[in-house]
Amino acid sequence: MKQTLVRFGLCALIYAGALHPALAADWKMDPAGSKLEFIATFEKTAAPGVFKEFDARLRFDPDKPAGSSLEVTIKVTSADMNIADVNKEIRGKDWFDYAGFPQAEFRSTDLRRTEGNRYLARGTLSLKGVKQPVEVPFSWTGAADGATMEGELTVKRGAFGIGAGEWAASEVIGADVKVKFRVKLHKAG
Amino acid sequence: MLRNDADFWGAPAKLFHWVMAALILAQIVLGVMAASWRLSPTKLNLFFWHKSTGMLILLLVALRLLWRLANRAPALPEGMPVWERAAAQLSHGLLYVLMIALPVTGWIVNSASNIPFRIFWLIPLPAIVAPDKATADPVALVHGGLVALLALVLVAHIGAALRHHFVKRNAVLVRMLPGKWRT
Repeated sequence: MKQTLVRFGLCALIYAGALHPALAADWKMDPAGSKLEFIATFEKTAAPGVFKEFDARLRFDPDKPAGSSLEVTIKVTSADMNIADVNKEIRGKDWFDYAGFPQAEFRSTDLRRTEGNRYLARGTLSLKGVKQPVEVPFSWTGAADGATMEGELTVKRGAFGIGAGEWAASEVIGADVKVKFRVKLHKAG
Repeated sequence: MLRNDADFWGAPAKLFHWVMAALILAQIVLGVMAASWRLSPTKLNLFFWHKSTGMLILLLVALRLLWRLANRAPALPEGMPVWERAAAQLSHGLLYVLMIALPVTGWIVNSASNIPFRIFWLIPLPAIVAPDKATADPVALVHGGLVALLALVLVAHIGAALRHHFVKRNAVLVRMLPGKWRT
């Protein structure tokens, strides 16, 4: 009898746990519905590119963002600027250096709500062997089958040594690179 | 005197001729430098100015053709042999064709290469063909071939003008010079 009670109690606890999971849920990215763009400028004209392969993992509760975390890994070698000559060039040491640094990463250290459905993830971007603090603002749109986070930020390519040597000058290739993302997520598990 | 007459070019025709002459020479120099420069920001800048100048030339040649169609060209000197008349007509026709074909092939190369470009940083140049390296490479060759042809025709054009002036001693060259040249 005592054993049965204990079992029942345990079951009840587990059941309650299932109904009210830890506040921050784990989210997994749906690659098909997600896009990560980087928009450089060439002679003051937008020159867009994409990272075809990347992954975002998120622990997040839109109502209680404290304690949330965002981790993004980017396969730098999947960059595509849709210009044959440029795609060949950005592999090299002066630009992304595919051989030396095939992957980039963002890890949040702090995530908070700014207003309404807008949030800000502060963290560190590791790119081409350089770690720099960046702020990633995003909006959160929840739906029945998952959620979408969207946002954009501006990164200084020079801070990461993207465009080395004579390419560091910003008259021809601008200093600012806009990063735009749209990530479709569904709850993991 | 704005309009051309039987003997003289009007001021707009002269202005078109000399402005475009200067632009075309600069354009050839820019193009050769851009194509041969090692990959660097300087090369990209050379291409930027080459493309911008090319689109300016295309606009000017369109206006110039309209003006030319609305105005008669002064007559060629009397007694010019038939072959010279034919050569004059052919070379002038070729110059107009090349002044259009060179910017247009350049535009095709830029579109096919999918390179974002705004003329003089201002006007976005729309694509006239879909991005495709298989288009860009052969058309770039054609563009280069047309430049070689242009260089030949220009040598004939300038040579003929000098011959008219110094050998045949007629007014063909001076009547294109700025100012009033009544001989």
